[in-house]
Formats: sequence, C-alpha cells, structure tokens
Amino acid sequence: MLKLFQDFLKSLWPEFYRHRTNVHLNSFYTFTNYRYLWFISISVLAATALAPICIATLIYYQLIETSVDSDLNHRTKQLTVVAKSAVTYFMEERLNALTFTVNENEYKQLTDNTRLAEILKNLKLGFGGVTDLSVLDADGNQVAYAGPFNLEGKNYKNQSWFEQSLKQMNYISEVFTGYRDVPHIIITVRSAKPDGSSFILRATLDTERLMQTLSSYKTGDYADIFLVNHEGTLQTPSIHYGAIFTPTNLIFSAGSDESEVIEIFLNGKSIISGHSSISRDLTSTPFTLMVLKEKAGMLKFWQDMSFKFNWIMGASVIVILIVITFASTFMVNKLYRADKAKAETMMQMEQSQQLASIGQLAAGVAHEINNPLAVINQTAGYMKDLFSFEDQARNDDEIVEYIDSILDAVDRCGTITRQLLGFVRQFDVKIKKVNLHKLISQVLSFHKKEAEYRRINVTVSIPDSFPELETDSSKFQQVLVNLINNAFQAVEEGNCLDIIAGQLSPDTVELVIHDTGCGIPEENLKKIHEPFYSTKKNGSGTGLGLSITYGLVKKLGGRISVQSTEGVGTSFTIHLPVKINEGRKA
Amino acid sequence: MQHTDILIIDDEIKFADMLAKRIELRGRSNAVCYDGRSALEWVKSHAHGITLILLDLRLPDLYGTEVLVGIKEINPAIPVIILTGHGTEKDRLECERLGAYRFIHKPPKIDELMSIFEQIREKSEC
Repeated sequence: MLKLFQDFLKSLWPEFYRHRTNVHLNSFYTFTNYRYLWFISISVLAATALAPICIATLIYYQLIETSVDSDLNHRTKQLTVVAKSAVTYFMEERLNALTFTVNENEYKQLTDNTRLAEILKNLKLGFGGVTDLSVLDADGNQVAYAGPFNLEGKNYKNQSWFEQSLKQMNYISEVFTGYRDVPHIIITVRSAKPDGSSFILRATLDTERLMQTLSSYKTGDYADIFLVNHEGTLQTPSIHYGAIFTPTNLIFSAGSDESEVIEIFLNGKSIISGHSSISRDLTSTPFTLMVLKEKAGMLKFWQDMSFKFNWIMGASVIVILIVITFASTFMVNKLYRADKAKAETMMQMEQSQQLASIGQLAAGVAHEINNPLAVINQTAGYMKDLFSFEDQARNDDEIVEYIDSILDAVDRCGTITRQLLGFVRQFDVKIKKVNLHKLISQVLSFHKKEAEYRRINVTVSIPDSFPELETDSSKFQQVLVNLINNAFQAVEEGNCLDIIAGQLSPDTVELVIHDTGCGIPEENLKKIHEPFYSTKKNGSGTGLGLSITYGLVKKLGGRISVQSTEGVGTSFTIHLPVKINEGRKA
Repeated sequence: MQHTDILIIDDEIKFADMLAKRIELRGRSNAVCYDGRSALEWVKSHAHGITLILLDLRLPDLYGTEVLVGIKEINPAIPVIILTGHGTEKDRLECERLGAYRFIHKPPKIDELMSIFEQIREKSEC
C-alpha cells in the first residue's frame, strides 16, 4: 500500500527534477528547462480546464441569486397581498355590520341601552373583536353606551376622530388608547335622526383580534407582519421595531393601493419588505400593512445547496488538478526521456564521427611515416650489417648496440603505426562459437601472478544459462585483454575487480568489467575513447588501447559505455549481440 | 642466363637500395626496379630466373596489383611478397586473391625476409 502511494507520488513528481546537468550532453538537448516546461504545461492545462468551470459557476451563482431574489420578492408580495386582504376584510366586515345596524334600527331603538347591549351581543357573536358600542349626537355627547367600560355621559366633541366621523359617512381611526387607556380602534358610521340632525354609531375594535389575524399569516421565524400609520408609528407590535406606538422610519404615501416590495437594510441585515396601504371602496384607513422577511432566513435552503455545490466544485477542481499534473508529468517525462536518449545518441554519434575522422587522419599519418621508417630501418640495418659482416668492425659491440637501439625505436614506431592502421582497418572476421567463461579464464591467466602479488580480488560471475556467443573470437579476446589490462592498471593493492555477465534479451548479452580503482575524472570521460589520449605517465601508454577497443566493439555489432566516479571506481559495460550480424562479416 | 634470387620492385629508391645491399651482404643475388613497367620488362626477360619478388603496392606508374597480375601472367610460379606501408585489409584480400605469397607491412625485418626466401628456395629445390 505504501509502495503504491510512493509510486503514485513518483508519477506526479517528474523525473527531470532529479536531472543532473551533464556538460557533455547539455548542448544536445532540445529543451533546456524542463521544470519551466512542466510548469507551463500545468498552468495552461489548468487554466483551460478551470476557466470555463469558474465562469460557468459565476454565471450559475448570478442566475440563482437573481431567481432567488425575484422568488423572494414574489413570495413577499403575495404574502403582502393576502395579509392586506385579510386586514381589509377584517375592517370592512365590521364596518358593514355597523352600517347594517344603523340602517336596520331606528334612532330611538339605538339610544335604548338595552337594545344597544343586545346589538353588541349579536355583533360579538357574529364577528367578534367588537368591545363596545355607543351612540353620539352631533355635539359629541354620548347618548347611549353598551360595553364593559363606564363611559356614559362622556363628551368627544374635541377629539379628532369625532370631527372626522362627522365629515365622512364612515370612519376608521388609528390605534389609540383614549379614555380607557387600552389600545383600540374606532369605527364610526354617521346617520341622520328623524329630525334631520346627524348622529354617530361608534364601535370599538379590540386590537388583539387584529393582531391574531395578522400573526396567522406569519410563516417561519423570519417573517414580521405589522401595521403602521401614515406617520410611520407602529399600530401593532413588530419583531423588528418593537412594541406598539414605537415610531419607525417607514413612511409611505397614503392611497397607494398597490402592493410594493423593496429591499432594505435593517441592523445590518438584508430584509425584503412588502407594504400596501389598507383601503376600502368608500373610505381610506390610516393603516399601511408591512411585511418584513429576513433574506438570510429565506436564503437558508439556497445556502445549504450552494454549500454542497461548493464542496463538489472544490473536489472536482482538486481531481482535475491532480489529473492535469499527472498528465503533464507523464508527457514532459516522456519528452525528457526521449530528449535524453536523443542527446545521448547524438553525443555518441559525434564521438564516433570524431573517432572516425581522427582514425582516418591517423591512418594517413601512419602511411606517410611508414616509408621513411622503412628507409631508416633498412639504413640502420645496413650499417649493422656492415659491422656484423665486415671484419674490421665486427667486434665493436658499442656501435652495434647503438644501431640496435635505432632499430628498436623504429620497431616501436612500426608497432604504433600498425596499431593505428588497425584502428581503421577492416579486419578479417572469423566467426566462431565463443565460451565466455573459457575466454575470460584465458585472459585472466596472464594476470594470475600479478593479482596474487598485488592482492587484487578478482571475481567472475557468469550465469550457467549464459549462451555461447557467435562472434569474432580474436576481436572479442582483444577487447577483453584491453579492458582487463586497463582495470589492472587502475586498481590499487587490495582493490576488487568484478567481471559480471548477463543476458539482457534473447539477442543481447551484457558484460560489465567493474573495478574499485582510482576512477576517471568527469572531464576525462569524454576523451578516453579518443586515439592518443593517455593519462599514463612518461608516455608509457600509446593512448590507443581504449579507442581500439571502442572500434572493435562496434565491429562486433555491440556498444560500449563507461560509468566512472573518481575515487570510487569504473565500470565498462559492453552490450553484444549473441550472434554477430551477418552484414558485419565483410 | 644469370639467376636472380630476389627482385625488389619499389619506388622508394633509398629503401630499395639498402634492402638490396643487405640481401647482397647475405650472399643472395638481387635486382631492383623503381617502377612497374620496367619491373614487368625485367621479369619478362628473366622469366625463369627469379626465386622471389618483393613488390610495393604504390608505384609511380602502375598499381602494385596490376604489376602482380602482369607477373602472374608471365610466370605464375614466381612467389611475390607484397611489401607495403599503405596496405589495407581490402588490399591484402585482393592481393591474396591475385596470388600473392605473403603480405608484409613496412618496415620489414630482414631476417624474416631471408627465412621466407630460404623456405621458398628449399621448396623449389626439392
């Protein structure tokens, strides 16, 4: 499980982040900054994928908000209309009942207290909410009274409602406390006595009943329904503004019969407010119905939904980002690997091209040197002959010795030029079955004494299943001799030399010659295959060993690579075909 | 006609002369030609009096291989050793195909040449 997680992280975390710059390879890379490429890839993909989502989300939110707003307004308006008609009906019903009473009874009957009490009783039974009834004459004197308060004989001439009542056929007052000290509403109907003078029938409505009617329309905890008068004073208690008679800033022009909805801010809360003045056909009332709904409460459903929506959105964005990162890492890694392989191939090609041209040059030089060498050789040989064959100098050993040293030097030059020629020359390929184990034992036998003497630990590991190679045995032998010689020269006393063979595929084998010797500094690694490159002191090496090995391995249809860390050791890895390619025989 | 042990065909005059002198010192008769045509003339006139021919591949007038073919036309029995400072593997294979006896790179070792000569002489005497 942990491994799976590590693999997952690895696939997200790109390989090129662990990339170490190699000065020799850098010039062959197509892209230089893979981190930047990766970053750009993720950014562009993320922007392309997320931008439409973000825009769509914004549009969605805006649409939802608009529709929720209009829905809220619509619902508030409806509630306002319904509550208004309820209040209007409440008023109208009682006013009509009063009008009916005036028309149905003679003035005489109405001024009879017993009769009046009977009418009050019927009104209470039929409609409810009526506290008392009284009859007033045109001077404001209370002529008759029925009800729980002792108000007989009172004069209302100077009260504003009385003045209004005389002017209009019927009248509905604001809520006030009056003589009885209890909030109430007065409804009056004007009529004429038999003698032609006016009288007024007054009913007092108890506000409790009105409040009950209003509160029956409250839906949920966030609604507030109440009445205000034209001055904005509360006529019924309000959740937001407080008790009855509290002044508010809610002032509306009277007479607007239409229900209107606006949005207001109250104590930092956004509130949808509906209002409509209460009026009836014949007379207007001083009341405006207010419906306040807290937006937050009404939005709760929407907020719950958008919370869920945000969760889903967040999760999707994270998943998209992970997928994008994964895809970008995968693609850039692929690109990086391909580029790396390309750079390595290009470097190898450049190296082999360089080798080929150096080889050709070397061959030309060798050709030109061989002829004068032959002349020197023959001349010195002739001088030696003279001393050897002619009697007078036969015993002059010193001169013979000098000439021998000239001949030795020419021989050495001859060896070098032959090696150089061998470097570019196509050798005759003798394909044979080669037993690697045997061949290595043969080569190592030359170093047996040296290994014992220098206490070098040589291990050979070749699996039993290792196939017999069909290759040019002499070339292969030369490769092994060169590499093993090199390794012996590189190791110090007590170091290790490992020869490890393995089969990579049915067609390819690998041979690693690893030593724990001095290693090759990085700046020299590129040059080791070049002819004449030698770090051996005093010119003891020709600098041709590894370049010849390089050419030989190529001719065997394989390739050779070297990994080395200075002070740790060097590994030469050879990949060879199990069976040499027919085309290479020529 | 006088018998010639070794005929040297080489345009590198100093080399050819020195080699000739050394062969002479070793008691073997020899002749030297510095170009292909004169060499072929010489071989034609001594067709049956030559034991061994040393032939350079790069001559001023003809290719060594052309000379080799010419010699083989005159007398296929004369062994020809190719002595060259330029020979490639391809040249070697070509020369062997055309009937060269040996293919030796310059500079040659006089003792090696002499021992080859002795082998050939012994063989021809048998």
